[in-house]
Parts: sequence; structure tokens; C-alpha cells
Amino acid sequence: MKYDFIIIGAGVVGASVARELMKYDVTALMIERENDVCNHASLANSAIVHSGHDPVPGSLKAKLNVEGNALYEQLEKEIEIPLLRSGAFMVAQTDEEVETLMNLRDRAKENGVPEYRLLDREEALKQEPNLHPDVKMVLDLPTTKVTYPWEVTLASAENAIDNGLDFKKATEVTGIEKTNEGFKVKTNKGDVFKSRYVINAAGGFSDKIAKMVEKTPEFEITPRRGEYFVIDRHMEGFVDHVLYPTPSSKGKGVLITPQVHGELLIGPNSEFQDDPENVDNTKAGLSFVRKESMRLAHNIPFNKVIRTFTGVRASSTHKDFYISESKEAPNFIHLGGIDSPGLTAAPAIGRYVLEEIIMKKETLLENKDFNPYRKKIHQFHDMSEKEKQEAFRFDPRYGNLICKCEKVTEPDVVHHINRSVPGDTVKGIKKRSRAGAGLCQGGYCEHNVIHLIARETGKKVTEVEYYDEHSNILKGETKVKK
Amino acid sequence: MKYDLIIIGGGAAGLAALKSAYDPNLNILLVEREKTLGGILKQCIHNGFGIHKYKEELTGPEYAVRGINDVEDLDVDVVTDTTVIDVKKENGQFSVRMTNTVDGDHEREAKAVILGSGCYERTRGAIQLPGTRPAGIMPAGSAQRYLNLEGYMVGKKVFILGSGDIGLIMARRMKLEGADVKGVAEIMPYSNGLTRNIVQCLHDFDIPLYLSHTVSDIRGKSTLEGITINEVDDEFQMIEGTEKHFDVDTLLLSVGLIPDVNMFESLTFDMSRKTNGAIVDQNYQTSVEGLFACGNALHVHDLVDFVSEESEKAGAAAKEYLLKNKRKSDKTIDLEPSNNVGYVLPQKLDMSDEFDKVEVSFRVTTRGDKGVFVVHQGEQEIMTKKARFVMPAEMEKLKIKRELIDTDEPISIRFEVKE
Repeated sequence: MKYDFIIIGAGVVGASVARELMKYDVTALMIERENDVCNHASLANSAIVHSGHDPVPGSLKAKLNVEGNALYEQLEKEIEIPLLRSGAFMVAQTDEEVETLMNLRDRAKENGVPEYRLLDREEALKQEPNLHPDVKMVLDLPTTKVTYPWEVTLASAENAIDNGLDFKKATEVTGIEKTNEGFKVKTNKGDVFKSRYVINAAGGFSDKIAKMVEKTPEFEITPRRGEYFVIDRHMEGFVDHVLYPTPSSKGKGVLITPQVHGELLIGPNSEFQDDPENVDNTKAGLSFVRKESMRLAHNIPFNKVIRTFTGVRASSTHKDFYISESKEAPNFIHLGGIDSPGLTAAPAIGRYVLEEIIMKKETLLENKDFNPYRKKIHQFHDMSEKEKQEAFRFDPRYGNLICKCEKVTEPDVVHHINRSVPGDTVKGIKKRSRAGAGLCQGGYCEHNVIHLIARETGKKVTEVEYYDEHSNILKGETKVKK
Repeated sequence: MKYDLIIIGGGAAGLAALKSAYDPNLNILLVEREKTLGGILKQCIHNGFGIHKYKEELTGPEYAVRGINDVEDLDVDVVTDTTVIDVKKENGQFSVRMTNTVDGDHEREAKAVILGSGCYERTRGAIQLPGTRPAGIMPAGSAQRYLNLEGYMVGKKVFILGSGDIGLIMARRMKLEGADVKGVAEIMPYSNGLTRNIVQCLHDFDIPLYLSHTVSDIRGKSTLEGITINEVDDEFQMIEGTEKHFDVDTLLLSVGLIPDVNMFESLTFDMSRKTNGAIVDQNYQTSVEGLFACGNALHVHDLVDFVSEESEKAGAAAKEYLLKNKRKSDKTIDLEPSNNVGYVLPQKLDMSDEFDKVEVSFRVTTRGDKGVFVVHQGEQEIMTKKARFVMPAEMEKLKIKRELIDTDEPISIRFEVKE
């Protein structure tokens, strides 16, 4: 099979480009090294759809951030991603910070952010009583939203697949050969896929992919880690806005971010490291985050932490996004250095790649059958009372609660297992349905999920994986059982 | 359907509460989320249960069967495979929302509710372990369920963090099942499990116990490949240079249990930050009138015998509440932990209630081979009790006579260690 396009990487950028591509009459394959979509930088971040107040005016980041923010409204309607219209407060506590805040207000204007205003201390504290009382002034950014990055990626990928995209997961690209007709992409599974174009959306590994076709790539990934605390959703309402500190020479600072499912995220810090995959939590990192966050708000409920995590941003030596056709290998397109505001910009990056790069080289015909809509699984915990009763009449298994912390029922899980990007691992189900994402972190529901995956996929329970290939949780039957 | 009493949970607590709350004039419903009654006892196939209550050593399932037999012939409603989602109270009536595959998401009303829903295990996230996040790390109780109820092994080379009883029991259980159990690490300088479990589960099987040690690193991307433990100092800071590495595919966590009262979305009651359960009076009544709590859903016990004993009292109190229309009063005295005591339960004494003496459960925060428990009311020392071989892992009890309580000042309990 020869494809028109191969996309390497099924993060939010790869999936957004894939969905955009499928609007045209093309064949395309998306290859992902991990056992599911959305694993690294796309998954582990603050989940914010930024307004666009921060990037340097004139940069690709500034342009695609503001465009991307607006496109999220459309994504919500088309592919049913969750959006929390929280708005954001950027908080200044000193005269110096107030001055920076003024500059950022001017920058917001220059970047085309549609709404922004300054609030005095009194107004800010009225709206956010848990703000640290040292607040002097706040830059209110109402177009800031929070989404669920996982769902954005999954929904984009599912919609692309439903419109004809091919997808290979747990498949690592091990080599790329330039040919007269394009490229041969080799994988660890022994496949060789041919394609006219290759789109490098490999995030933290995009420079390594670049080196497969270029001697000297124009960008190098400089992975930058950020650590977070997650606070239980029963603390919902602690803050309503995303809270940013005023950025300084030290960076953007530690944020407090309400999440779409009610949790609070506290973080991140920012530390360079060599390994794009090192997501260990560190004592030093977490205590820094804790200390810094306490400057933003009072009485943060750290006793309600349910987990911690680390994300690694795919920052690069090229300060802006590096979105360009390869100088050495025509038809090879780099999406490199997509760090913040990459999640926000992703849908706009998809369009930009099509309109500013591919369409300037090719005439693509419209895919007349393209269906822009993707239905999310309407889960029990989101249903109204009436819907719950109807769902139960239709399928009594809606009465079987699999996860009691997050109120996930058997059909919710079964539907996720049987989708175009199947949730066929324990962690895949946790990410899709929230079974296991609550207070007990899967202590109660994990065995239920294992049995459902086995039943639906025809696997033995000892073959059901936690997440990665061969990461089965049950290693074998006991002596008694044999 | 209207009930007088709904009991949430059909484990040791719910069964004992049902037994004592039963009265032919009361309409009672017990709700159990699993297919069969018995709760966590079902997966505790080791012996050692019932020494206090039945004066013999039973396995968990045997103990459960006795509890089930006690209530089998009672004229009450019992539903299994049914999960409680929420509890509300409106106009003096409780409305318990539950779901199953027969009736779907439905509500049942009651005048009183007993919460006997047990506890859940603290997880890796809650204790913020460093290192990677591969498959192969799980709470010890989850591993126990897979092994004893479902017949699956979760690993072959095992390390255990935390010396709680489940961790100790699982160390022996995995060993008996052929696993290589490399050791148990405990961050405290003493074990958190019962002495008999240290002896019978670790010493008898030559499994090393590393006191004042914790996990300092976890390795492996997809699946667990190994862990490192470090010794900690008096302030629980890791001591450099004390690293010990173990190649394991499984890390079981036995790092604490938390009362499971998370089905309450619509009803709030006063919670204790010390027990993570409800604040109750001597009748096991919470701050919400008619809502009682007992067993591990109230505070975590080390012996099921005490769960049963406590739950029988809670059941009897609920029965009195319903039949004698006994109501809470504002005339309460606080019971508080003082030096070397972590928590005291009940936390309140309702002085309008008639009682001769009240039994108080508490846990110490430090070990002592010899010492004395001192009960104070205000400045006044009202009683003392000699204590031998006291440790945080074992719950202590003492009885305070009504006649000793003279004022309405708070009562406190402290533990004085005698060298």
C-alpha cells in the first residue's frame, strides 16, 4: 500500500493534522510508537486553551495560538470535546509585576486576543476569594478555556479514522528511506510503508525522526519537564479561573488550573533534561511547585492530592514552533518544537500545514464524504435522570456500576473498548471513561475493567495489558487453578 | 419502598449491625455491592479471625459465614450486586440512591442509615512515590483479591512497601504461592502490623523487614523492573549512601486504609481529620441525626472482632433511635487525644443519654512496653489504666464510668510511657 501521507506521532498535533488531511481526497496513515494515542507532551500538561496573551507578537506561536483558541469552539460542536470556559487571571503582586502585566495587556492586544481587561485587587478577590491577599492587580483573560487534552487527541484521531485514516499503534518508526517517489518508512514490526509525504509530529522525538532524513536538522529538542499535583475533584470550586502568576525572567511560573472533571492541577515547574521520556516525579520538583503555588492562593488543599505526574514539553533550540518543509528532503514536513501553547494551537497547526505548506505544492480535491462530526460516548455520569432511566431500559447493564468513585457503568466501558481507537488496556479505559481516575485510583474497579476487556476482545484475562504491549497485570494462574 | 433502616455494606460491619438492629417491628434493607455477603473477609483466607468473639481461630470466609448465618433467618430485605451512589436527607427522611441491573438507578427511603461500607487502600498517588509509573505496582489488597478470589498471580519477584497487616499477610501468601518475596520496607522505626503477623508472616518465612526504610526509586517503563530503598532519618529524610536495589516485577503497597464514605455526594457530616471517618457520639451517631457509622467505614480496625463488636453497638443504637424515638441533644462533651495518643473514638459524648460507662477506642502514636493511660477532664485527672506492650498498630480500649464525669469540659486521654 502506498499512502499520500504518513504522519509520525499520534499526539494532539499529529491527530489534528490527520483530521485536517482527511477533509481532502487523500490516503493517509498515522503511526504511533505507544500503545494508544496521546501519551507524552499532549497528555501531561496544564490542559489550558490559552488566550494568546503570552507569545511574542509576530511569531507562529502568537498567530496559531489565537487562531487555535477560536477553533476550539468549533471542535466542541464538531467532535464533542469538553470545554470549561473558566477564563484566566494573571496575578501581579508587586509594582514590578504590575508593570509586566501592563506590557502583557498590550501584547494581548497586539496578538489579536479578543477580550482582556485589568481588574483591581478588590474586584479580583471578590471573584476569586482564595487568591493570595498580596494581589495588586489582575489581567483578566476571559477567552482562556480548559479542555481535556486526551479527549481532544482521541476525538480528532477517531474522527480522522472514521473518515478513512489508517492507524497503527505500538509501532515505532525505525528508519526512513528517501526514494524517487517519496519515502519508505520502516517500523519495528517489520513493516515498510511507502508514502509521498511524511509529516513529522513526533513531539519529543521529532529531532530524532528528522535525523532519519537530514544530516543537520534545523532544530534540536531540548526536553523541558514540569511536575504537577492533582487534587481530588471534591475540591471543585476552590478557584474558578485559571490562575497564572505574572511571568518573570525565571519563566511562566506555577499555575493553579481547574480541570474539566473538577480536579485542580497545581504546577508545573520547568527544568531542562536530556531524556524526553523521563517522567519521574522528584521531591525537589514537587516541593518547588508546592511552595510557588502558595504564593498564588491561600489554603490550597494539599491534603486532597490524589496523584502527581510529570509532563515533558517538546521545547526546541528554535524558540518558536518549527513548522516547515525539510530543507534537505522535499515533501518531508517538520512540526518541531511544539511546546506551550501547542495544545491550543494544534487545530490551527493542522490548517496551517495544509494551507501554507501542502496546498502550495499540491492541488488536493475535497473529500466530499468528509463527516466533521464525531459523537462522544455519553456516559452514565453525564446523563440526566431521565436519560439514565432510558439508558437502563435500553440496556440493563447500565445498572452495573464498574467504578464507584467516578460512577462508570459497564456499557460505558464496553463502548470505549469497541471504538475506532479501541480502549483495550486498563489505562486506556481509565483515560477514556475515568474508571480508576478517582479517589481509590482503581483499587476497586481494576479487576472489573480487566474482565470486561477480556470478554470484549476475546483475550485471556492474563493477556490484558495495563498499558504498553506486554504489560499484563495478571502474570499467570495459581497452582490451584492449574 | 419505605424502610425504617437501610444498612450500607454487607461485610463484617453491616452483618453485625443488622443482627443487633433487627426487630420484628422494623423494616430493614441491607445493600451489598458484591454478589455475595461477607465483604473483604471473603478474600482473607488466612486464619486468626474470631479469637476474641468466638474464642477460636477462624479464616476470613469462616468468620463471614458465621455473620451471615446470624442474619439468615431474619425477616429483612437484602440486596446484593447493588451499589449505593448517593445518600440525601430531606425533611427528616433519608433517600439512598443505588443502582443494579434489576432496578437500574433507583432510590429507597429510610428513617435511619447505618454506614458499614468498609475502607479503601491508600494508593501510590496519595503517598507520592518517586520514579517511573510502570505496571506492577498495586495495593496489597488488590493483589490479595486477584490471588485468593480469582486465582491469578500478579508477579513472581515481589517487594512490599509498608508493614500494614495486609502487606504482611500478602508477603507470606505470595511466598506460599511460589513467589520470591525480597522484603518489606517500613518508613516508621516500628512495624504497623500486628506482632503475630510479623512473626508468622515474615520471621517464619525468612522475609527481611527493613524498618526506617522507604522506596526511593522505581525503575521500568512498561513493567516494573526494580526498586531502590533507602534508610530514613528521624525526620523521614532519606539517608544518602544507604541504597539497596531489588530486581522485582511487583511492588505491593500496604500504606494505609481510608474509610470509604465517598458515596456521599449530597450529604455532608462532620468528619475527623484524624480517622478520615465521621465524628460520632457513643451511639455511633454522626452529626447528621439518624446516620450511624461503624466498622472500617468509621475508623480502621486491626481486628475484625472489634468491627463486629462496634457494629453490634451501632445497630443496637439505631434500633433504639427508631423504636424509642431517641434523639440527639446539644449537651455533648468532646473526647480528645492528648500526648502520645493519635485519635479517640467516639469524639463526642451525648450527656443527655443514659449510660453507666462508655467504651473508648484509641490508638497511641508511640510504642511503650510499660506505661499508663491517663484520662483527664479539664484540669482533673479522672482515671488511669495500666498499659503493657502498647503500640500504634494495636487499637486500645478503656471504659470511662459516667459517675467520673463531673463537668462539661472536654475529656482527654494521654499515654505516659514508663521507662
